[in-house]
Amino acid sequence: MDATLLTQYALAGLVIGAIYCLMAVGITFIYSVMRMINWAMGEFYMIGGYVQYLLIADWLGPDRWYLALPLAIAGVGALGMVVQRVLLRPMFAGGIERLDEYATIVTISLTVLFRNLAVVIFGPYQFSPRDYAPPVQLGPLPVNGSRFVAFLGAAALLGLFAWVVRRTWFGLAIRSVAQNRVGALCAGIDLSRIDMLAFGIGVALAGAAGALLAPVFLVYPQSGALSTVKGFEIIVIGGLGSLGGSIVGGLLLGLVESLGSVLISPAFRDVYGFGLLVLILALRPTGLWGERAREA
Amino acid sequence: MDDPVAPAAGGVASSERRAARAGGVAVRPPVLIACGLGAAALLPLLLGTYPIHVLTVACYYVILASSWNLIAGYTGLFSLAHHAFAGIGAYASALLAVRAGAPVPAAIVCGGLCAGAAGYGLGSVTLRMRALYLALATWAFAESARIVVSMEYGVTRGDLGLAVPLLLPTSSPRPYYELFLVCAAATVAGLALLLRSRIGYRLRAIRDDETVARAAGVDTVRWKRFVFGMSSGIAGLAGALYGHYVGLLSPAAMQFDEMALIIIMVILGGQRTLVGPVIGAVVVEVASEGLRAYGQLRMVVFALLVLAIMRVYPPGLAGLGRALWTRLRHGQPRRRYHRASGPAT
Repeated sequence: MDATLLTQYALAGLVIGAIYCLMAVGITFIYSVMRMINWAMGEFYMIGGYVQYLLIADWLGPDRWYLALPLAIAGVGALGMVVQRVLLRPMFAGGIERLDEYATIVTISLTVLFRNLAVVIFGPYQFSPRDYAPPVQLGPLPVNGSRFVAFLGAAALLGLFAWVVRRTWFGLAIRSVAQNRVGALCAGIDLSRIDMLAFGIGVALAGAAGALLAPVFLVYPQSGALSTVKGFEIIVIGGLGSLGGSIVGGLLLGLVESLGSVLISPAFRDVYGFGLLVLILALRPTGLWGERAREA
Repeated sequence: MDDPVAPAAGGVASSERRAARAGGVAVRPPVLIACGLGAAALLPLLLGTYPIHVLTVACYYVILASSWNLIAGYTGLFSLAHHAFAGIGAYASALLAVRAGAPVPAAIVCGGLCAGAAGYGLGSVTLRMRALYLALATWAFAESARIVVSMEYGVTRGDLGLAVPLLLPTSSPRPYYELFLVCAAATVAGLALLLRSRIGYRLRAIRDDETVARAAGVDTVRWKRFVFGMSSGIAGLAGALYGHYVGLLSPAAMQFDEMALIIIMVILGGQRTLVGPVIGAVVVEVASEGLRAYGQLRMVVFALLVLAIMRVYPPGLAGLGRALWTRLRHGQPRRRYHRASGPAT
């Protein structure tokens, strides 16, 4: 095993890890604002992939892929806001006994809905838009162009997200809602608007991951299932409610999977994540940077 | 949400009196249930082989949905590993029969015990977790169980599928249907008795407020473990029976879709009622077989129905049926579902 090959695999792991980060940040962001877990995250990822495929293959053409990305992200975000407005907002209007249960049942039904809707509309086939970017030479290492674009896109989106959350008034409002809903309400923050936008942004991150990975992996109705699994693994590793934790956890998972498949065996690729998860939970039950309380 | 079990004892007499006053003939719920069971037992005389098979599968889902309703609906432990316990029971029983040559009935009992023990263990590990963490932990357990089953193909034959000896020496589905019907009826009856007993009140106390329940002297640790073991054991038994009925096991039955299906059945029928899961399981299974020509559109419709029920009318089909029944018998305006007013955040 020479060093170049190892670096190449490590790099590939980081690229996938950056995409995992988008999923995990979306999950933990929605959790910290609305105190619910969106089980349909992978389905928004799947929808992002389909929108990207349709835009590139049918509507815009492969030359204008740079236009397709923002459109796909905006589309998934808008869908998320509609879902939040129609199905999830009532959960804060009083009258529902158990918020977490309500949200779990609703989002699990959404996974069934979206998955089967994709089968109904597009059939059980697997699609993949053409590779739009040429291979890139990173020092001595050749990198698949679409993967490189996916990595850059993920990094740019995470940077933008961090800037919005840390530096803008809107980010301040979101952080205050995450800290204390009643307190934020007293400070004059429109909770239902923040909830809607936060849910939209959270699922748009998943949609972005799906759109960025559309040329790398295939687009099909069940494509979201595995990314949901990865997203949840990462938030358990990084700690629920911690944005930094999900970024480190995502990169770590990508690295472990990639190096594990090269050093041990590629057949068990999806088991390494669970191994890492068990290891970290055994050492730190709250995840790397999780909230102290394990009671939600 | 109103509870069907507690008022049932007192409710019968008063509704009878009301019916007598109105000049009608009183119909007691036990009579109705007996009639329903009798009709279900006589159904095979009218139906062909395939419809009987569908009803047999529906009985299997009745058992799964009812036992999940016990843990999630009545005790408030929102477990997402129920399908995994059915799978564990099925694989444990099948492996005992195939690899160790155990007689099938004994293997089925052992499969149920294995699933029950696994459930008891998972319940003990997750004792302190609540709500979302419990859901995540049970989900992770189910995914791990599925991965182990599909990876260990030396033992379980993984995705190739494991051929399982049949329980009865016949290819006709009718005896199986009768067996499954008896098991489903026994499960529902057992749950009804359990929920009427002191244990049932303890479980519901845990659901409503665990801290208060503990303060009132409920040994929450003991009963949470008990309910985990109990519902998983029932699921394992059902899974083992089902495995020896269809004769082929694969890890596909342990996919999360199966759990989503159980949730859809319970919510559609009506959570926290005894008849709800029964209605939901039969309706979903029969409808999805009857509408097979429409492909995946069926699941889209079921998911939309569940979303509508969660959003607009949480009592589900069972609540709707009860409201219509009340209206038909007493001419009272249908009672609207009354929403409990909770805190805003």
